[in-house]
Formats: sequence, C-alpha cells, structure tokens
Amino acid sequence: MDFKDIIFKVVILLLAVFYYLYVLVISKQVKVMDKAVQDKYNWLILFVTSLQVTVSLAILIIVLLAVFLI
Amino acid sequence: MENNNKKSSAFYSYIPNPQTKFDTQEDGENIYLLLRSHPFTQIGWILSSILFFILLFVFNFFPQSFFNLGQILIINLFFIIFILSYIWFNILNWYFNVGIITNKRVIDIDFYAVLYKEITNAQLGRIEDTTVKSGGYIESFFDYGSIFVQTAGTEANVEFINVPHPSDAVQIINKLLSKKHGF
Repeated sequence: MDFKDIIFKVVILLLAVFYYLYVLVISKQVKVMDKAVQDKYNWLILFVTSLQVTVSLAILIIVLLAVFLI
Repeated sequence: MENNNKKSSAFYSYIPNPQTKFDTQEDGENIYLLLRSHPFTQIGWILSSILFFILLFVFNFFPQSFFNLGQILIINLFFIIFILSYIWFNILNWYFNVGIITNKRVIDIDFYAVLYKEITNAQLGRIEDTTVKSGGYIESFFDYGSIFVQTAGTEANVEFINVPHPSDAVQIINKLLSKKHGF
C-alpha cells in the first residue's frame, strides 16, 4: 500500500464519520422542526430523514470495512 | 375569512385554511393562511445542484490515471451523497420556514441553516402597520414579494420574505385587523 492509498483511506474515513455526525444533527433538528410546524406531509420528511441516517450509517460501515479489512 | 378559498398555487407556498398546526398554537386559534417562500426564489440552489451533477459527469468523462477504479467509485458515491444532502438541506430550509396568519396573531417561524430556530409573533391588537415590498421584473411576473408587519413599542416586527401573492396576504391581515378593531 503506497502513501497515496493511505491518504485516500484517511480522507474517506473522515468524510464518512463527519457525514454520519452531520446527518444525526439534521435528524434531531428535523424532529424539532416537525414539532414546530405540524403538517400532513411531515411523515414524508421524517421518512426521508430516517433513510438518510440509515444510508450514512451503511456508508460508515462500508468505509470502515474498506479501510481496515481490504 | 371563510370566503378565502383561493387554491394553493406555486407548489403550496400559499395555502389558505391549511390543515397545519404549530407548537405555540392556542385553543381556539385558527390558521387562515400559511406562507412559504415562492418556489422561484429557490432557483439558486436548484441550478447549483444541476451544476454539481454536471461536474460529476465531467469528472467521470475524462479518464483518471491518478485514482484506481475502486477509488473512483467511492469518490462518485461521496459526490452523489454530497449533492443529495445539499438538495435535502435546502428543501428542509424552504419547507419549515413559514409565515402563519391566524385569527389571533401573525407568526414567522424561521430556521436559519436548519439549526437555529426563531419564532417571531405579533398579536393582531399590537399591529400598527403592514407594508408590501415587491419590485422588479421577476417579482412582478411571478407575483411575489415581502411583507413587513410593524408592531407597537419594542416588540419585534414580523417579516415574510419573498412570499407569493403578498397583496392578498396583507388584505387578509387587514380584514382580521378590521374585525379585531370592530371597523
């Protein structure tokens, strides 16, 4: 493994961690916004947000596997 | 207010008598109008998103010698996630920044950058003046503008920025004020 690959893995790991944290904060805030304005379409907003959390967690796991196992 | 049955237009940014509730709603408080920014004002981030997708396409179009195939796939994945998150962030910003006119007050709910919440309200009895600002070719063509509700004393003024049909919204506020003051 050369130096370029190590740098690449570190960068994608940091991006995956930061993205997961970002999505967690956004999902918390969406719950606050959902309480502030309760509309009949809010279920869709909450659904997409939970989907985003799931995807970010999946990405984090994939990146961790790629960095430490491959 | 009962005769105000104007259909929602411009992708539901002007909603008369909505089935919506808000967290500080009082008993017997009915929402007459819910306002969001006019969809045309969202054109900036929509165009940016399209530009990001074009950049991604350009990145993939040229053969990359610096990265291997696996790395290119991961870069693409992160790029797509970044663009989708950007789009979602802006949708949330648009959807939850609302102006509400009820039979008791005028409320402006703002979430700055999604994270900072600010709720400003003006009781109908405290409203002194309402101003509509709409100018320029685009605002006139799409019929949107800003409404400024001035209140008495040191109370915060309420602002609805770039909302559709501002004159109609002010007319509703004025009708409510007339009712309140018994004119």
